[in-house]
Amino acid sequence: MLQDSLRRFIYGSKGFRIRIPIASCSLAAGAGEVYQAALKAVDRLGIDAEVYRVGCTGLCFMDPWVEIAKEGLPPAIYANVKPDQVATIIERYVSGDLSGAVAVRFKQGGERIPSLDELDFWRLQVRFVSRNCGLVDPESIEDYIASGGYQGLRKALSMRRDEVIETIKRSGLRGRGGAGFPTWFKWRVAYEQESDVKYVICNGDEGDPGAFMNRLLAESDPHRVLEGLIIAGYAIGATKGFIFVRAEKPLMADRLEKAVEDARKAGFLGKGILGTNFDFDVEVYRSAGAFVCGEETALIAAIEGRSRPRQRPPYPATSGLWGKPTVINNVETLAHVATIFQVGVEEFTKLGTEKSKGTKMFCVTGSVNRTGVYEVPIGTKIKTLVFDIAGGPPEGRKVKAVQVGGPSGGCIPIELADLELDYESLQSYGAIMGSGGLVVIDDGNCMVDVAKFFTGFTLAESCGKCLPCRVGMKVLSEILEKITSGQGTLEDLDLAQELGESIAKTGLCALGGTAPNPVLSTLRYYKHEYIEHVLNKRCPAKVCPKLVNYYIDPNLCRGCTQCAKVCPVGAISGSPGKVHTVNTEVCVKCGQCFSICPFGAVKKV
Amino acid sequence: MRVVKVYVNGVAVEVPEGATVLNAIEKAGYSVPLLCYLDGLFNEATCRVCVVLVNGRVVPACRFPASDGIKVTTESDELLRYRRTNLELLLSTHRIECWSCSRKSGCELLALSKQLGVEGIPVCAECPLAGDSCLVARGEPCLGPLTVAGCSAECTRNGAPCTGCRGFITRPEVWKSAAEFYREHGVDGKKVEVAMRFFWASVPDHLKKIALGGAP
Amino acid sequence: MDPRKLVRELVSRYGPDRGRLIQILQEVQKEYRYLPRESLEEVSKELGVSLPEVLNVATFYHQFRLEPVGKYIAYVCFGTACYLKGSADVYEAMRRAAGLNDGRSTTEDRTLTIEKARCFGCCSLAPVVMVVSSDGTERYVHGRLTPSEARRLVSTYRSRALRSGGVGVASG
Repeated sequence: MLQDSLRRFIYGSKGFRIRIPIASCSLAAGAGEVYQAALKAVDRLGIDAEVYRVGCTGLCFMDPWVEIAKEGLPPAIYANVKPDQVATIIERYVSGDLSGAVAVRFKQGGERIPSLDELDFWRLQVRFVSRNCGLVDPESIEDYIASGGYQGLRKALSMRRDEVIETIKRSGLRGRGGAGFPTWFKWRVAYEQESDVKYVICNGDEGDPGAFMNRLLAESDPHRVLEGLIIAGYAIGATKGFIFVRAEKPLMADRLEKAVEDARKAGFLGKGILGTNFDFDVEVYRSAGAFVCGEETALIAAIEGRSRPRQRPPYPATSGLWGKPTVINNVETLAHVATIFQVGVEEFTKLGTEKSKGTKMFCVTGSVNRTGVYEVPIGTKIKTLVFDIAGGPPEGRKVKAVQVGGPSGGCIPIELADLELDYESLQSYGAIMGSGGLVVIDDGNCMVDVAKFFTGFTLAESCGKCLPCRVGMKVLSEILEKITSGQGTLEDLDLAQELGESIAKTGLCALGGTAPNPVLSTLRYYKHEYIEHVLNKRCPAKVCPKLVNYYIDPNLCRGCTQCAKVCPVGAISGSPGKVHTVNTEVCVKCGQCFSICPFGAVKKV
Repeated sequence: MRVVKVYVNGVAVEVPEGATVLNAIEKAGYSVPLLCYLDGLFNEATCRVCVVLVNGRVVPACRFPASDGIKVTTESDELLRYRRTNLELLLSTHRIECWSCSRKSGCELLALSKQLGVEGIPVCAECPLAGDSCLVARGEPCLGPLTVAGCSAECTRNGAPCTGCRGFITRPEVWKSAAEFYREHGVDGKKVEVAMRFFWASVPDHLKKIALGGAP
Repeated sequence: MDPRKLVRELVSRYGPDRGRLIQILQEVQKEYRYLPRESLEEVSKELGVSLPEVLNVATFYHQFRLEPVGKYIAYVCFGTACYLKGSADVYEAMRRAAGLNDGRSTTEDRTLTIEKARCFGCCSLAPVVMVVSSDGTERYVHGRLTPSEARRLVSTYRSRALRSGGVGVASG
């Protein structure tokens, strides 16, 4: 039986609701135009339906999607909708014709279209913190309250502070943004500090390339994050909270700001919250953006108007923002806090593994058919996530590895696909959970190039404060450059290994200490690819430009001359209608001929 | 004031709460190499040369707080490796032109390089001759700019050009700036090469090219 | 408005609090699209923070620019998914098409700035280029680009910038 609250969100007060996700990712895919088209279509067709803004479900591969639900009909989901299709889709749906829908949310009768629960990418998820994403209007506090929102805060405020901390301890919740530090422990330390002023900060910096679950969560269900922050503030006895967001993610910041205002009006923030003597307020801080700000002490420095991390200890829980006890929790962690208090610890602890309870959101990108954000119990196998949920690689491609944890993480060979995704397993195989970015790498990608990419990223993002990260990453990146251009030696591999270990051990902050991970983990599992670059001057995946030669297949070339025209050095000869050839002596390997050839005749060898 | 008890290489010492691991190490009579740390002026733990083990974890002694019962190890193969690597990294970005540096024998980089066995600083750093009395400046083919320091520049101290008996520096960037120095003072490349042959039977070609390639 | 005057106004609005340094720089940039030198000097004076420290912050965070930009700014996403799907080729193709061969990122006529960007989080569209007008009023996302398509984007936006007349922003 469908829950009443769910029914309410799906059909709306009018019994006819057309839901369209309005979040950064879906807007990029064209959801804004689809939304406008839906408004026009409803008007033109004279239908009494709500066109309703919701957050994002995380099913990026369907963006922009539209869900139409009219009482009496099963709610139908349409994927990759173009603005000019909207009117037809609505018209057909009203007439009972569901063709073109990829799924129905649930079945009404004997529809042939699968229900969401019959589809692996939905069935295998456990949507604990993302439960509201794609269902409620993120800018409506009423929607959030109707979904059970702020009940968690009510419950927490009826308890003593130490009982709140004890509850989180019982849940076993660990930080969802990095190393998986137990959340209660930070709280406990800050709670025990004697100080008239304490702070809580929600870390929404999220600088990992390929990770956007925090943005998605905060844009789709901002009140959940805020509620978690208020509970954390109460637990440690803080009077002020900050939500740290990048200015370059304006929608995320705007929605959180709106949530703060609405919560203040509704009495969830301010003086004497919900009739208690707990005073607490929140400010959304728009950061100017730097990867290192994901690190606690750098984040604090940013709010103080400075830059760069500092050596810990002291940990922020004893001396943080302006020297006061400060707890910093990640967006997803705080959303978990709110949800745990809303639905009870048991609902949380029955998910996950012995050591790590609950669920984790993963951004699965790269070589998969279904790019998206998926929430699964901790301990889910890599293969379940990559193949069953995300649909595996596009046709003709073979998965080679998964990169977990972004620039601080590592690559895990697909041969270890049975590995369970939890903090300890990942760490023992040279990766980290991090914020949960999982990039699928296929046989068309070069592992040395992947290592070079991440090293280049961290080098550019290094704040430059400590020597190992500032200079060490530069040297490491030079070594990789040498190897990928065919100039490397076997000694370079040893040097990279030794240097990497040294940076990892002596780097000042968490970023520096994990920066060499992409190199170390690829050296661990893909040394043969490095050796191939060094000894045979060959890039097996044909990615590294300097180790690739171009050649025109005479059977495919039609003599269209496009390659010759685009070649910047005149290395391609041939007359119109005749087979062209590349002079490898002159060729500078820019690859422009390869990308422009309409017949796929230019080959890499 | 509360005191905490710290074990430095097995030696128990008491230091006031709030003291650093470095304070405890010094109180116990040991030392660690220091570079960026300046007592009372700079304590940001940026050079990572003073790393020690605290309960098995690598931390900078200058900044890490001493707490009750911790076990500090100041020397191990692992630590030596990290200190050397970080010093090498520092030298790799240091513009080594010891011949025109005013620090000379007061150079901490030189002292530390000697202590950790890192090669890269030339004899010029130890040489008391400077300015007009520098042998290269007088047109002599002195090998000081290319030779590994550590002899206290005995020959040049006595007015004789360095013959390179301690072996040549392997860093190309040092050779580059040395070559410029020779050129600037019109020292004949041929003479330098002759001087090199005395002790250095085989200078790698890429280094030789740098030093002699552009010499007049 | 004169950058110095703007800074003085901002400081009187937010108070001479060093904690507001980043916020003030953000406001200045909103006005000029970059941080004119005078504004940094004024911030230093008004907040009592040394100029090197102001520059330290202004160069540390990605958001801040010290040079004027073009009418349109094309951000080529260098997130992991985009990189693996060829954003480096897209970036190179665009730079070539715009005639940016040396370290410059803005075309001579200030119609277009091309920069690498961190992940936009629309990895399903990889490789992605986002184009925004420097006044922030226009914003376009182009997904699943090939280098040839990317080359065409360059001419599209450059001619659009010339048509609309405004090229970049006045310096100073």
